[in-house]
Amino acid sequence: MSIAEPADLDAPAPSLPWWRRLVHDPAAFVALIVLTIVVLCAILAPLISPHDPYASSRAVMQPPVWSDRGAWLHPLGTDGQGRDILSRIFYGTRLTLLIGLVSVGLGGVLGSLLGLLAAFRPRLDPWVMRLVDVMLSFPAILLGLALVAVFGPGAIPVMIALAIATVPDCARIARSIAVSVMKQEYIEAGRAVGLSDLALFTRYLLRNCISSILIFISLRFGQIILIGAALSFLGLGAKPPQAELGMMAAQGRDFLLFAPHIAVIPSVMIFVIVLAANVLGDALRDVLDPRLRS
Amino acid sequence: MKMGEVDIEATTEPLLKVEDLAVDFHVSGTVQRALQGVSLNLKRGRTLGLVGESGCGKSVTSLSIMRLLPQPPGHYAGGRILLEGRDLLSLPEREMRALRGGRIGMIFQEPMTSLNPVYTCGEQIVESLLVHSGLSSKAAMDRAVELLDLVGLPSPRERAHDYPHQLSGGQRQRVMIALALANDPDLLIADEPTTALDVTIQAQILDLMTDLRERTGAAVLLVTHDLGVVAQTCDDVVVMYAGGVVERAPTNALFADPQHPYTIGLMAAVPRIDATVDRLSTIAGSVPPPWVTLVGCRFASRCPLADDRCRSAVPPLRENGPDHAVACWHAPIEEATI
Repeated sequence: MSIAEPADLDAPAPSLPWWRRLVHDPAAFVALIVLTIVVLCAILAPLISPHDPYASSRAVMQPPVWSDRGAWLHPLGTDGQGRDILSRIFYGTRLTLLIGLVSVGLGGVLGSLLGLLAAFRPRLDPWVMRLVDVMLSFPAILLGLALVAVFGPGAIPVMIALAIATVPDCARIARSIAVSVMKQEYIEAGRAVGLSDLALFTRYLLRNCISSILIFISLRFGQIILIGAALSFLGLGAKPPQAELGMMAAQGRDFLLFAPHIAVIPSVMIFVIVLAANVLGDALRDVLDPRLRS
Repeated sequence: MKMGEVDIEATTEPLLKVEDLAVDFHVSGTVQRALQGVSLNLKRGRTLGLVGESGCGKSVTSLSIMRLLPQPPGHYAGGRILLEGRDLLSLPEREMRALRGGRIGMIFQEPMTSLNPVYTCGEQIVESLLVHSGLSSKAAMDRAVELLDLVGLPSPRERAHDYPHQLSGGQRQRVMIALALANDPDLLIADEPTTALDVTIQAQILDLMTDLRERTGAAVLLVTHDLGVVAQTCDDVVVMYAGGVVERAPTNALFADPQHPYTIGLMAAVPRIDATVDRLSTIAGSVPPPWVTLVGCRFASRCPLADDRCRSAVPPLRENGPDHAVACWHAPIEEATI
């Protein structure tokens, strides 16, 4: 770092705002565009869907347009009940993103706060971490089953189950990052400047942990979508006529040998969403952490 | 250099007075005494050196004055820390927070890790200014640039927008000093401010601190293990050993006539530029670990003069010359006897 210093003195300070630096990274730029398109499709699903996603037609298991028997009427073909896959992808993405975002958001915020608090107040640490251990001992699937037993199947019990499943992992990660940050001398220096606990917590601890937590959450987002799909597959999540990417993939499994597109297309969609989220999460960390700026 | 001068301020009440401070650490069910009977006085415009080897309680003392000792495991077991007559140990946390960074500034040992990496240097000084003064953020930024100029950073306006990792160690330590001085403190605590820097930068930082002390009239408590630094910058010295004060004297008196066997041993262990020595002497043995309950003199186990009285009774800190106090049954000692 010190070797590069003479150059630093002449070079203009890297004062680009973070979002400008984000789009300068080609991988992040592509991921950002892909995610924007995906989110737009999800939001605009009722407007851009060529068909009713729930309406069956007689064209059952029609392949997508690029295969020999495909037709532009159903660009991505139809599923086992003759429903338009493109429309169902739009609606399914909508529900999948919603489940992922809400549960990762809720669980991530709650878990991070618990973990940071445990590191910030060592007195609370054993209590918080035992609570987290108890939560950790419930598998997400079991929790989902219990919640569905109480509330009946649907997206909301799944979201709650997934949020609760995210809390302990996130708390553990946040705590381990925060414990090492708390050992840094700048925390003590911040106290020596006379900062309040709240300022120390937000401006020193949280601000120094957030980039690593963000990475974890963006990776977790992918996992959550997959667990959500697993819950739908077990019949705990979205109720059948509803479209959900994981459930669509699960339903297509029955026709995998003679109509693979029914399972493959929603799976590719999940893959694209998860990959884009991970790439973007990585890039966000690089951009938000001033130490990693080159 | 103010060494030896008797100035007017020396006759006034001390700004900081530590009386009989005792600090315990509660570690896995046991109580370990980290400080015992530490007393020191510091007057305005003076620099007091706190010296001793690692683990002797220097940093615990300086952290105690800021009341930054983590509690638990730390525990103030007795004594008082008076800043202009107010006992800091009994202040509510709110008032203590107003003092930290306000009337008491602190410089840390590691400039590489003591600045928050996610904010620019200017932002960190502004943060401290906003906590303690009613400045607008615009005025605070101007003041931050002024401070960075004061501590000798070239092109301070640009540096204020730099992140800590963009600066060298010496530059960062200058930023730390600017941060500590932000609110015109009366007392500046510097905990090994030059240890992590290379020698030429050390000299620059020490000169800067001496210069700033003269300009601001602040009192400086300089924690160090480097006797050379003490000789160069301090008016008075307190020598600590194993959690207690063993000798207290004006700097020139201490260097001219060290009285405690530990101080004498320390002096002998420093290479001198005006003498050729084949082997440097060392002090045999090591510091007693904190979990050992000391009965007599804390230095008895390593002292060449130790006798039965040293091992059974704690020697009090006695005046043994003008402002020169020693905690040793055998004082005054002629250096040649060791």
